[in-house]
Amino acid sequence: MTTGMKLVLFAAEILTLAAALIATFHPNVLYGAIALLGTFVGVAAMYLFAGADFLAGAQIIVYVGGVTILILFAIMLTQWLYQMKLRDIGTKLLVPVLIGGGLFTLLVKALLDINPQFAAENIEKSQKFLHAPKTPLIGEALLNSYLLPFEAVTILLLGALVGAVWIARPR
Amino acid sequence: MNLQALDIFLDKATGVQGFLVVGAALFCLGIIGVLSRKNAIGILLGIELILNAAGLNFVAFSRYRTAAIDGQIANLFVIIIAAAEAAVALAIILRFYRLKQTIDADEANLLRN
Repeated sequence: MTTGMKLVLFAAEILTLAAALIATFHPNVLYGAIALLGTFVGVAAMYLFAGADFLAGAQIIVYVGGVTILILFAIMLTQWLYQMKLRDIGTKLLVPVLIGGGLFTLLVKALLDINPQFAAENIEKSQKFLHAPKTPLIGEALLNSYLLPFEAVTILLLGALVGAVWIARPR
Repeated sequence: MNLQALDIFLDKATGVQGFLVVGAALFCLGIIGVLSRKNAIGILLGIELILNAAGLNFVAFSRYRTAAIDGQIANLFVIIIAAAEAAVALAIILRFYRLKQTIDADEANLLRN
């Protein structure tokens, strides 16, 4: 990777983390949901740099175009915009922050201990994989070794669609 | 200016460790969100963060460790299931709001006693 690409990836990581911080700690859920957009876009950019072009597209379509809009719809359907009830002041923020911060410290300590060259044994294969187009690979794998989970997921999606409409139906 | 140290830091931050640390941070922020929010939609935001962290780890290991497509396919299923989960969860939240006129998760106590 050139230095410019590294800087772009670093900016994507910063965007992801900053937006996730806002989504977690902003007292207003509406702004949290909008900040979540930034997280999804940043993660999609990171997928691109990890050689997952198809997943980056899927992430944009499903998360940015679908889930965020769905969440915003739900916020606006259930609560008046800018009403005080929408605010969710963290009165019990101390214990969650202690748990999350402790977990993060442990994870980072473990992650910084790993050998950064742990993939060096197949670095050539890794480079080849990085630059290969992923859509044909994914399509082939989905219809061969992953056929059963693929079919199961189609049933799940159908069930989720019908179930969501049935649960939210007007009486 | 210590340009060399900056270069080494950038190298690490854009390698496998950068991906994994961002994934860990997203996961912990999601945990904090789930535990601290009272608003049901706020809890859902935390769950989405956790699912994204898991996907990021799948993709990072698929890129740096196995150099195979399997990790990306696992992440594809994670994305699909997250979409289905969000749709059902929001339908339940809408129904709950119609019942109780609030989406405070502490009010969801119909099954208590």
